[in-house]
Amino acid sequence: MEYLSLLMFLAVCLVLLLGYPVAYSLAGTALIFAGIGAFFGVFDTSYLQAVPSRLFGIISNQTLIAVPLFVFMGVMLEKSRVAENLLIAMGQVFGRLKSGLAISVVLVGMLLAASTGIVGATVVTMGLLSLPTMLKQGYSPSFASGAICATGTLGQIIPPSIALVLLGDVLSSSFQQAQLSMGVFSPESVSVGDLFVGALIPGMLLVAMYLLYVFIFASRQIDSSINKNLHDEPISNIGLFAALFPPLILILTVLGSILGGFATPTEAAGVGAAGSLILALINKQLDIQKLKDVMMSTTKVTSMVFLILIGASIFSLVFRGFGGEELIEELFANLPGGVFAAVLLVMVVIFLLGFILDFIEITFVVVPLVAPVLLAMGVDPIWLGIMIAVNLQTSFLTPPFGFALFYLRGVAPPEVKTSDIYRGVAPFIGIQLLLLACLAIWPNLITWLPSLL
Amino acid sequence: MGWIAMQESVMYLHGVVFLVGAAHTLRVNEHVRVDIFYRGFTPEKQAKVDIFGSLVLLMPVNLFIFFISYDYVMSAWRILEDSQAAGGIPGVFLLKSLILVFAFTMVLQGIAEVIRNILKISQQKHTNKAVAK
Repeated sequence: MEYLSLLMFLAVCLVLLLGYPVAYSLAGTALIFAGIGAFFGVFDTSYLQAVPSRLFGIISNQTLIAVPLFVFMGVMLEKSRVAENLLIAMGQVFGRLKSGLAISVVLVGMLLAASTGIVGATVVTMGLLSLPTMLKQGYSPSFASGAICATGTLGQIIPPSIALVLLGDVLSSSFQQAQLSMGVFSPESVSVGDLFVGALIPGMLLVAMYLLYVFIFASRQIDSSINKNLHDEPISNIGLFAALFPPLILILTVLGSILGGFATPTEAAGVGAAGSLILALINKQLDIQKLKDVMMSTTKVTSMVFLILIGASIFSLVFRGFGGEELIEELFANLPGGVFAAVLLVMVVIFLLGFILDFIEITFVVVPLVAPVLLAMGVDPIWLGIMIAVNLQTSFLTPPFGFALFYLRGVAPPEVKTSDIYRGVAPFIGIQLLLLACLAIWPNLITWLPSLL
Repeated sequence: MGWIAMQESVMYLHGVVFLVGAAHTLRVNEHVRVDIFYRGFTPEKQAKVDIFGSLVLLMPVNLFIFFISYDYVMSAWRILEDSQAAGGIPGVFLLKSLILVFAFTMVLQGIAEVIRNILKISQQKHTNKAVAK
């Protein structure tokens, strides 16, 4: 009956394309298959008895409480114009360099990524503020939109990031499962904190690669006939300090408390959320209406994420009920080339799924199915986590269903064509794949830092 | 009650956010869709997809969640299930009840979505006729 699980996977992909909300497309299709399977006596409904305790597990999961807190922090920073001030200040600092604006976009993107971690917020803010300026300075539309989309997605990989929280949670249970299946009954654990530490060097490396690309190509992209004396007014040091200092402190507090072992990621997220409130208060951007708006959008984003988690857990229970896991294990066991081929296959599949799904769905649906098998083959959990995270980051950029592209399309002026955006992100997707290759060749880039702590 | 109870209160608040907020999020249409094709559909076709999804996917899933969790929640009520930690909030049965609240409000919102989309289609037809005349 195992092939029914594959049939179900295909059916889910088709139902997803209809456009009904993802969570119910997953759970609904799975239940229909379970019903048919039970009718013909090939599905053991006792698997579904686990649904209530799974749901309660989602409610009482301490790690996942970090999600609403980080979302709150990000939305708060966005709405209190901390991001805006940063962009303006950086633009003025680097405005004198020929490729200055593009460089400042990447740097600000990195800071915003670390502090907000919300791809949509970063891309929209930078799209509204930087894209018009970049175009005015003579950057080609495709180059400008590519740089903005790509840096907007840095929030995925640069900690503290919501994607890493979700991945860390999935991986830690996969790791336990893998070790139990190998007969290790005092299993080691992998935490969200480990992933944060592991992501630091790859994240910085990615930023460096972006900067290098932008530095080399920006000067060629600029049409020199356009007068670019836009940023002549020098910014005072105090102004720069005031824009840069508060978010930096916030990032350092959140990351430092995790790395220093003072706080779990969930607690650090609480610190970040409280800190963002204080920043907004200092910026004189906090009033009741704004607080209400921030809480409302936090509620909606949180509901959206957790509903997918609920849908995905029902889907994976049914998938397991049909013996889908054995099928995957068999597939990997029979794969020529061993561990390397298995990891490569998983990476290719995740990359391809990234064209139609985004990171939440892939994290909740695909990772729990493949990770236990890979980990049981001896793959390092932190390495696997970061590889998946970098890979998933590309899912934001790959047309047609890259979130970053949508967000930018939504705020870009009409003279920027959709095809410009698609062409602009292509080199950045290439850079990310290059990083993936580097991380595969030199796994120490990921595992070295966590091994020190 | 002390610090344990305070720590647990975070979990209670967290549970309320997404279990009670999910139906509202559906109402304002902010649950993620794979909208490669959906975006290009006519409003009428979008409404049809939503009616189909509400009836075939959303309602069965939530009715299923409701009924399969019913005994689970009721057995928590029967013993007025307490926190496993000493000094925790003695309300695990209430926390578990949120699962039923979630499924119930989702079914209600699902019904509302069906009605809303039927209205949308019939209005669309109405205006189309008016234009044709």
